[in-house]
Amino acid sequence: MKKLINRRPGKPASWALGLLPFLLLIVAYMLASDARLTENPNDKLLPALDSFVQAIDRMAFEPSKRSGEYLLWEDTLASLQRLGIGVAISALIAVVVGIGNGTIPLIRSTFSPLVTGLSLVPPMAILPVLFIIFGLGELAKVMLIIIGITPFMIRDLQQRAMEIPAEQIIKMQTLGANTWQIITRLVWPQLMPRLISAVRLSLGPAWLFLIAAEAIAATEGLGYRIFLVRRYLSMDVILPYVVWITLLAFAIDFLLSRYSQWRYPWFHQKSH
Amino acid sequence: MTRSVRKTAAVAALALFTALTPVTALAKDSFSICWSIYVGWMPWDYGAQQKIVDKWADKYDIEIDVVQINDYVESINQYTAGAYDGCAMTNMDALTIPAAGGVDSTALIVGDFSNGNDGVVLKGTDKLADTKGQNVNLVELSVSHYLLARALDTVGLSEKDLTVVNTSDADMVAAYTTKDVTAVATWNPLLSEITAMPDSHKVFDSSKIPGEIIDLMVVNTETLKANPAFGKALTGAWYEIMATMSADDAKGKEARTFMAKASGTDLAGYEAQLDSTRMFYQASEAVEFVNSAELKDTMQKVAEFSFDHGLLGEGAPDAGFVGIETPAGVFGSDSNIQLRFIPDYMAMAAEGKL
Amino acid sequence: MAIIEMKNLWKEYGDQVVLERLNATVNEGEFITIVGASGCGKTTFLKLLLGTEQATRGELLLDGHPLPAEPDESRGIVFQRYSVLSHLTALENVMLGGELHGNRWLGITFGKQRKQLRKAALEMLDSVGLGQAADKYPHELSGGMQQRLALAQALIKRPRILLLDEPFGALDPGIRADMHKLVLSLWKEQNLTVFMITHDITEGFYLGTRLWVFDKPRLDAQAPGAYGAKVTYDLPVGDCENGTLKRINQTVGRTSRVLNDTL
Repeated sequence: MKKLINRRPGKPASWALGLLPFLLLIVAYMLASDARLTENPNDKLLPALDSFVQAIDRMAFEPSKRSGEYLLWEDTLASLQRLGIGVAISALIAVVVGIGNGTIPLIRSTFSPLVTGLSLVPPMAILPVLFIIFGLGELAKVMLIIIGITPFMIRDLQQRAMEIPAEQIIKMQTLGANTWQIITRLVWPQLMPRLISAVRLSLGPAWLFLIAAEAIAATEGLGYRIFLVRRYLSMDVILPYVVWITLLAFAIDFLLSRYSQWRYPWFHQKSH
Repeated sequence: MTRSVRKTAAVAALALFTALTPVTALAKDSFSICWSIYVGWMPWDYGAQQKIVDKWADKYDIEIDVVQINDYVESINQYTAGAYDGCAMTNMDALTIPAAGGVDSTALIVGDFSNGNDGVVLKGTDKLADTKGQNVNLVELSVSHYLLARALDTVGLSEKDLTVVNTSDADMVAAYTTKDVTAVATWNPLLSEITAMPDSHKVFDSSKIPGEIIDLMVVNTETLKANPAFGKALTGAWYEIMATMSADDAKGKEARTFMAKASGTDLAGYEAQLDSTRMFYQASEAVEFVNSAELKDTMQKVAEFSFDHGLLGEGAPDAGFVGIETPAGVFGSDSNIQLRFIPDYMAMAAEGKL
Repeated sequence: MAIIEMKNLWKEYGDQVVLERLNATVNEGEFITIVGASGCGKTTFLKLLLGTEQATRGELLLDGHPLPAEPDESRGIVFQRYSVLSHLTALENVMLGGELHGNRWLGITFGKQRKQLRKAALEMLDSVGLGQAADKYPHELSGGMQQRLALAQALIKRPRILLLDEPFGALDPGIRADMHKLVLSLWKEQNLTVFMITHDITEGFYLGTRLWVFDKPRLDAQAPGAYGAKVTYDLPVGDCENGTLKRINQTVGRTSRVLNDTL
């Protein structure tokens, strides 16, 4: 028999092994839920699986009794909109400042210390200040995301811009490029796939800031709903929402990754 | 090998949920209760620190652990999940969280009701009707929400006429200082801070609906039935604390100063909050309050509000789905009583039988 | 006609003398190969020609005028690595020079202008043997093909001088031989002036017209930076007098041993 280190599962076995922990978690959950529900049929802490189905059906496919809206979609739309605007603005700022800092030494000397300083400020700590400056509306939520993720994206892109080989920048000059052309034809296009990976990395924190902002003051949104129904321990709504957020995050990440591989093959297949 | 892996994984996965397996209420001799910071619940802190709770527990040969939890809703959720035998909460939250969650709960001690501690504050106007079409910031589904609904009744408006913005209580004061926020419903000490700001008008407060927002010590009904000593010790301790803190002597002042400090204010601030709280220092007053017919009417209003907002669960066909037992009679379903108001233990205290 | 003139050129970093007293005149159409131990200023010399470094003393003239102090179109360059832009296809790489010239704002051309650039670029790619690879990205090309592309990209700009910084150092010997042929034929066709650094002395001996050896004639083992390197041999290629190669090899080998020991 081969040593353990040399034994590899086949493709089906690999899938089965990967699914196993999930199945075990579900089984363990069902056992625990069953135990609690036998004790108290109205228990809200570990609802039975069919309660989830009902809750999903109610939130996603039935208009709300109070507002007549389909809550899950309304929440998803509101959250994705905030997330999208926040991340898009951050990405734009990051790419502009990152290119400036990364390519032009005079700009770098001026702004790099500021960006480094800003990136060390914990965004949650200045939340009350944000509310006073930006109010409690959509602006504050988007701003929290922007303030939360932009400094790190700038630093990342600045670093990536500085990693562009000096040879290529000299090459551009020998081909007659001026500074602006070096940016438009070399730095900008080379940073695009790196911007996508910076966005993918910052989506995790962006969700965190979004949900935090929605928990503080909102009238709709995925984070709002979770923190609202938490008030009456509605696990049958909270857990599907958590799974849904996870799926959304996964889908966005997957799409970005695929887009980047399709659009920038030269970045992903460096071989020679 | 696969089998052992599977077994290990199963054990590990089960361990994840063991913390959540139900606690069976049996006769036992060690109990725990939880509370969070609020004017009417500070006496529990004083009682625990001064060993008054321990003294009464010793008398009945049991142990009672008093635990402070920083987040109010979290403390109720912990109680509902079975982590504590008792918890300090309001009548509305007792109905919508543990009782609606099938945890049969008993209001062992009625400590006080809010008599101005909860209010609605408007910026730039003193007419409640002006909130029509505006945003109102409050902790959604809390007693502030209930208070707003009751306030709107008085001017012929309903919640549909305005937009409720769920706002965390921790950020309420900061939120009020921003331009977007023109109306809030909240509780003390936030309420007095907000009212003190320029151009702010308190247009409604809980003194206009006296006795509707009630602060309770809620305990698990089964635990109480199996362990009357638990109820006796808690009630005995509570009224000893009441006697101490209400006394107009040095000891009383010392007790109130202690509670003031523990709740992050000074004696004057704490006494101001006490002024807008109708404390039942005497057990007999609380017994009278529980026995009155108004309590049943109040709980009906609370239940109807809760039902309208989906707080009784989606399976609830009407406001009476969760039965509420009061000495004046049962509101709602007789077969599904989950919240009980009983004067028994407080009566024992009033008669000096503890 | 003199295209490059060096008059008493020095390059120092602090008290480290890298190059000292360089004097030479290079005529149009010469192909100069530069050899020498590493640490003897070959690359620094190339940087002076390129404009990324400036001489501390002396004069460096291009067509009788001081050389511009930053890289520009007058000098083309092929590095050992990273010479082509990885995010552009072979064709786009070769068109780039024309596009940058054609549109000073964005560096992108359209319509008729683009068609002309494309046609010229395809011809250039054909002449370096990359006609079939026009739409490939650099990462899809072998190392030799990437260097062919780099040559095509530099030469389409018709630079006054072409600088080659160990361009074939990373290539296999067989491919290197092909590249030698290509460079020689392009040099002849376009009447180029070429400076090529190589670490392979034999390569330097038959490629081009003139061989320069950079070496440190005075060497203080305690302070290797005290004296700079000079051009110790300036030979026309073809002077294959017996023993010259051996002699150069010996002195360069000795310098490199001393430098390695002290550094």
